[in-house]
Amino acid sequence: MRTGVVALAVAVLVLAPLLPEQARAQFSFDARRVGMGGVSLSRDGNARRYNPAYRAVKNKGLAAGTGAPKFSIPIPLGLIDFFKDHPINHLGDDPMFNPDSAAFNPIALLDIVFNPPIFLEVKKAPRPTNDVQFTIGRNQLIIDLGATKVLIPEQDFGLGSTSRLFDAGAGFGGFNVGVMGFLEYDVRFNLDSTLRNFLVSDSTARPNTSYFVNVDGVAQAGLAPTVSYAGRIVKGIGGDSTDDGLYVGGALHYYLGATYGRAVGPAGFVTGNPVLGATPTPLLDGNVFNSTKANGHGIGGDIGMVWISGPFEVGVGVDDIGAELTWSHTKIQRYLYTTSTNSVSRTVIAPDTTTKTKLPVTYLANAAIHMGTGTTVGGDVINSGRGTVIHIGAEQRTGPFAVRGGVSRDQRKKMQFGVGGGVRLGALGLDVGFWTHSNSLSTQRAITMATSISIY
Amino acid sequence: MKALATALLIFVAACGEGNAIFNVDVLSFLSASDSVKRFSVPVGIGQADSSVARRFFLPPGFGESAADSVSASATASIIDTAGSGSVQFDVFFARTQAALFTGTPYLSANSGAMVAGDSVRLLPPTTVSLADTVFQKDTVWVGIRARINKNIANTMAGRFRLNGLNVRIVVRGNIL
Repeated sequence: MRTGVVALAVAVLVLAPLLPEQARAQFSFDARRVGMGGVSLSRDGNARRYNPAYRAVKNKGLAAGTGAPKFSIPIPLGLIDFFKDHPINHLGDDPMFNPDSAAFNPIALLDIVFNPPIFLEVKKAPRPTNDVQFTIGRNQLIIDLGATKVLIPEQDFGLGSTSRLFDAGAGFGGFNVGVMGFLEYDVRFNLDSTLRNFLVSDSTARPNTSYFVNVDGVAQAGLAPTVSYAGRIVKGIGGDSTDDGLYVGGALHYYLGATYGRAVGPAGFVTGNPVLGATPTPLLDGNVFNSTKANGHGIGGDIGMVWISGPFEVGVGVDDIGAELTWSHTKIQRYLYTTSTNSVSRTVIAPDTTTKTKLPVTYLANAAIHMGTGTTVGGDVINSGRGTVIHIGAEQRTGPFAVRGGVSRDQRKKMQFGVGGGVRLGALGLDVGFWTHSNSLSTQRAITMATSISIY
Repeated sequence: MKALATALLIFVAACGEGNAIFNVDVLSFLSASDSVKRFSVPVGIGQADSSVARRFFLPPGFGESAADSVSASATASIIDTAGSGSVQFDVFFARTQAALFTGTPYLSANSGAMVAGDSVRLLPPTTVSLADTVFQKDTVWVGIRARINKNIANTMAGRFRLNGLNVRIVVRGNIL
């Protein structure tokens, strides 16, 4: 038991810094967006998701017969590569998915979960190639990470996402009544200063010292009956014959939480004296919150506006304003590793109490100019509570062909680049896009090739 | 120790293509009674062994032909307090305890002829073992033996002290 707990704790300590940053928020199954660095030049995708005013704006591509397709179908070339390495008829025996296997690698599994191998990785991010030295003795534990030290994050890090799994409804005159499904998860790690100093500067473990990571993870999901309005309140010079004007939108959600869970606490180990005179004592003291009934409830809203004037448009949207859910039946348990019994004990702190959670507020600002020469240039800035992402991209259409390019600044504030192209033959289009991305294991970029079929 | 090694190996797997080098001070994990042995071989016995066997845990990943190379080095000293003879110092590694002290030792040194009052420092040459199957399991046994050889008509007594035993295991970065 103790061995397992220490292995888990130490693995968490050393693996936590290497977890992928913020699950690729910019990830898209549309090769067109990929080729433009993640920006969406049409009035779908991010625009409608984060700005309720866009519900009242016609999709320019659909309206004009050019530009945006009705929908895109990804061509999952990456899955072919994946299943070549992991035959689907042997997944049960695959070391990647079998924790009992000596070759089980949780990092690789996490990478698959958060970065599904849909598209082809044409250039993998090189991992650090320096040697890592461990000096192990009863009186000493020295870890020299070499150049890998630069990968140890200075601030908290983690991964998270807020999704609207579906959003269905009906209405008239700009009003809409419907229901949406929401899912939010956020896991954050923070290296204690002693641990960080050990990994980055000192390299030598001290006796009778705690080394740990503070973990705070929350996940919640549910439904939200919604009443919304979107409409054009000011028309442009062209009247109804153009899209010009000022659009506003708003939505009021009554969140009905189905389930939620949260875990908070440190995980690590305490060295002995001498340092490795005995197996280090696990340090595990966390509180786990979970809803015992599907009765989370709360109110929140979205607002947005769009202004369109000829070829130019700009929009701003804010989602989940004031979205705080109250969970009236929450169980709080404490999980504590006890050295004397060599086990993790569970104590119910509160069998049925009330707790609150929040959904992060999301902001989107976007602008685009549709030139008459087949050129469209646009950009957006989005922040879903986990760092700001900026996309700027352009598309040039000439006959059936399209050339695209773009740049973005990701949540780690690194510049990424996209380039792509496509060909449209009637109602069918084939698009390809390349984009760079970074992960926590490398200071260099990887390149993914996305391919998709567009239906116009 | 096993847990720590396992976690470190997982970390190495996550790190990438570089090598993971484990420098293990084996001596530090032995007790004082294991590293210092007094011996006294009476008349009538020509050869006697004084030995120690201890088990060490390795990370599970070692079972996948991961240990690229293993090098071992040691130092020891013999003090002859009575009688004459010689002492053979051997270090063995094996998968099981039963397999210890058989075959060729990894480290070996001989004191040569000694008489009472002699003190000899033993410095067996460092050995390097490539793709050693002994280390392809999650445990490894370490055996240290001092074999006393003397004339059957004499008594020989003295002290054997292990001054250092280090193992350097190089694991390829992409081990999993």
